Amino acid sequence: MMSTQRATKNSQVRTRISQGSNSFQTSLSSWEVKQKSSGSKLNSSMEDSKHPDDQPEDDLQRAVKYFEKGPMKTLRSKDKILEKHLKTVENVAWKNGLTPEAIDILLNVALSGKFGNAVNMRMLKYMIPATLISEDSVVKAVSWLCVGKCSGNTKVLFYRWLVAMFDFIDHKKQIGLLYGFFFASLQDDALCPYVCHLLYLLTKKENVKPFRVRKLLDLQTKIGMQPHLQALLSLYKFFAPTLISVSLPARRKIYFKKSENPWASALHAVRLRNQGPFPEPLKLALGPVNVRFLRRKCNSHSIIPVVNSGSYAKEGGEKKMNLSDCLGGSSSLPLEQLQSFPQLLQNIHCLELPSQMGSVLNNSILLHYVNCVRDESILLRFYYWLSQTLQEEYIWYKMKNCEEGKEFINFLDTVIRAECFLQEGFYSCEAFLYKSLPLWDGFSCRSQFLQLVAWIPFSSFSEVKPLLFDHLAPLFFTSTIYFKCSVLQSLKEMLQNWLLQLSVDTYMQPMTSSPLETTLGGSMNSVSNLIDYVGWMSTIAMRLESNSTFLLHFILDFYEKVCDIYVNYNLPLVVLLPPVIFHSALLSLDASILNQLCYIMHRYHNNLAAAKKKELLQKAKSEFNFSSKTCKEFNHYLTVMVGCLWTSKPFEKGDYFDPQVLEKTGMAEYKHSLNLVHHPSLLSYAASFLLQESPEERTISMSSIRGKKWNCYLDYLFSEGFQGLKLFRTSSIRCSSVSQS
Amino acid sequence: MSVLRPMDKLPDLNRATVLLVSTEDALLQQLADAMLREDCASELRVHLAKSLPLPSNVNRPRVDLIVFVINLHSKYSLQNVEESLQHVDSSFFLGKVCFLVTGAGRESHCSIHRNTVVKLAHTYRCSLLFCDLEVEGFRATMAQRLVRMLQICAGHVPGVSALNLPSLLRSSEGTLLEEL
Repeated sequence: MMSTQRATKNSQVRTRISQGSNSFQTSLSSWEVKQKSSGSKLNSSMEDSKHPDDQPEDDLQRAVKYFEKGPMKTLRSKDKILEKHLKTVENVAWKNGLTPEAIDILLNVALSGKFGNAVNMRMLKYMIPATLISEDSVVKAVSWLCVGKCSGNTKVLFYRWLVAMFDFIDHKKQIGLLYGFFFASLQDDALCPYVCHLLYLLTKKENVKPFRVRKLLDLQTKIGMQPHLQALLSLYKFFAPTLISVSLPARRKIYFKKSENPWASALHAVRLRNQGPFPEPLKLALGPVNVRFLRRKCNSHSIIPVVNSGSYAKEGGEKKMNLSDCLGGSSSLPLEQLQSFPQLLQNIHCLELPSQMGSVLNNSILLHYVNCVRDESILLRFYYWLSQTLQEEYIWYKMKNCEEGKEFINFLDTVIRAECFLQEGFYSCEAFLYKSLPLWDGFSCRSQFLQLVAWIPFSSFSEVKPLLFDHLAPLFFTSTIYFKCSVLQSLKEMLQNWLLQLSVDTYMQPMTSSPLETTLGGSMNSVSNLIDYVGWMSTIAMRLESNSTFLLHFILDFYEKVCDIYVNYNLPLVVLLPPVIFHSALLSLDASILNQLCYIMHRYHNNLAAAKKKELLQKAKSEFNFSSKTCKEFNHYLTVMVGCLWTSKPFEKGDYFDPQVLEKTGMAEYKHSLNLVHHPSLLSYAASFLLQESPEERTISMSSIRGKKWNCYLDYLFSEGFQGLKLFRTSSIRCSSVSQS
Repeated sequence: MSVLRPMDKLPDLNRATVLLVSTEDALLQQLADAMLREDCASELRVHLAKSLPLPSNVNRPRVDLIVFVINLHSKYSLQNVEESLQHVDSSFFLGKVCFLVTGAGRESHCSIHRNTVVKLAHTYRCSLLFCDLEVEGFRATMAQRLVRMLQICAGHVPGVSALNLPSLLRSSEGTLLEEL
């Protein structure tokens, strides 16, 4: 490259120039500028070279060259020049990012200590990549750390930078080889948290050695159990559980504090720039997955990283087997080649998950793999990545930008889809939800948040209530009817997920020992508390919305799930409807609500009968939440219902109305007014039934439906779709031949 | 010393009045506009005040709901609210007072800890709402919620009175999010 120059030059200039940029492309025009001012001091050349068509890239190149040469010892105006070049670098970095070559040079300059500490720190702050960072630059930079030319603060900042930019480094193989060096840096107290974080990202199974474990434990006794040490120890423990006997908290915490990340917003901009329009959530299909191959230059940095297996060699895009791999027999299938499910099954023993755990979210085959393998370390890494992304990068209430909001929603949709696919909730999502709910306005990302609520895993209700319900309830009560209905629906799904989880657990293990560390009775208590709480919410909601049938439909949907717990899930629990809901449904003006109520009562009847039968058979009092009180209450409801609808004796038993009061109102024939003919919601059906028989009639008399006609009327109703009523009749009514009136 | 009492005037037919008290004039104005834009069966009146006591020479309707707006970024707004609370009759605190906290989203700018306002709301047995009033979307949804609360406090929702509100809207304080 240097050879393209003309020969008339000041040799001094030429040697200086050729020293520096061996990998640096310069345009011919800037060369010419240098040549002109060869005799004078170099700094003034910068002043003179104000070409009218100066481009920022030229400025940057000049700045980089300036830094590369190192500080001029003698000049007074050095500071101004220095400042000017730093500003250039800063502007380019924040606007477009720096090229890998520029980063290479500047990183070396910053860590070699040529300039002062302040300059080095500023330079590190501007070290924002445009596309990626070459691994060699990082290795060279790390080598400077050994020399000890930079200050402690610079080292700290460098490690923080390394952690923040980890995703942008193109390969990590050589950096992985430096594991031992990084590990040795743990001794330094100031560096310890950041080095721990870096090691957390780098550690593979082969790095976990006994002497390292001993070192970490010694460190822990010296400085106490810090969260970053805990993180690393947990990771070590999952790779090699036999080496560590210290007990670590089982609940996965967020280990690395959200420290002020000076590069956060710039990195976000870089990712957006590189990936173009954000991808819509992909459909998770079992068929051949369209995996993009990782190409060196076009590494798109979406929030969800592309699958990249570490061992995939880049030369010509072909896989080369090292000798060591062949001998060791530990060849793992590069993940980019994993296209179909049968391939997964064949290679399941030799898969190595990518270093970026988040990339499994878009890949259904890898999700299958994660599901089967059940390796805690995988889950740990995945949860860690998910927590980081949710909490640090996307703080939804800061998003005023519509595009960012949409991107976040897409990301949440992908996570929720993965949860549905694996049929389990992620701990990180749960923590994110609990943190965001107190400040949530109930409107932004509504359907995503409510879906996350549905996937909250089972735990004791007294734990969930202060974290979830105490924040959800105020929103629920002061919101529109549609929000109320959406919340009820997601609570129904949450109940369903809890029931499934519990029924699977009780199936796998007998009654007493449960992996949830609660007894069956405790679990049933928790579920029953949840149902009671939703019942309380529904009752108040009905009052707030003036008995809206739309809301009642969603409430009855919830109770449709509740009434069948015993039969469908084989769990010993029967919880009845609250009285307000029962009576509102019985007296509603909507026929479909009445039908739904009949169906629910029919199912309750079956469940209670089955439970009672089992109890009689077993003759043992198990931990059953089944009391005679439930039966009594049900019988009462049943009596009321049959009394209203069939036998025309409404509200006779129980504390309803004093008959004298009703007589005083002047309503003579009130007894019929709630039966199947005269019920407000069914009047139109009765009328059309009568018209069907005798279409020419001018006046119809409802009271003519009795006796045999009653049965015909019932058949007519069943043909009109009242299946719930039909089932109710078969289970709860014993028909005699006595005529109904 | 005039004290605000909930029942010292007769209610007007189908009218509901809310009093917003805060040192943040601009935010209050925007919130008031958002509330008036809401579709509501009752006739809404919104009064704005910087602090209590209110000047006694003005003829104003009965106040159904008082909302104290506290900005977490300014200690002065909290101080102002605490002083104004002394001019409110104790029977108001049976559900007709609520605290609205703004600025919780930007934690780095907060000079008051969230727990302080949580404790304040707990002491007065009032509901506490969080909303970043600067963001228009959040402001609109909060206005909707306030209108519904106002309707309940004014007695326009049959079967629900202001007395119900504290038990419905109060979240238990002291949840330790640091454990997560």
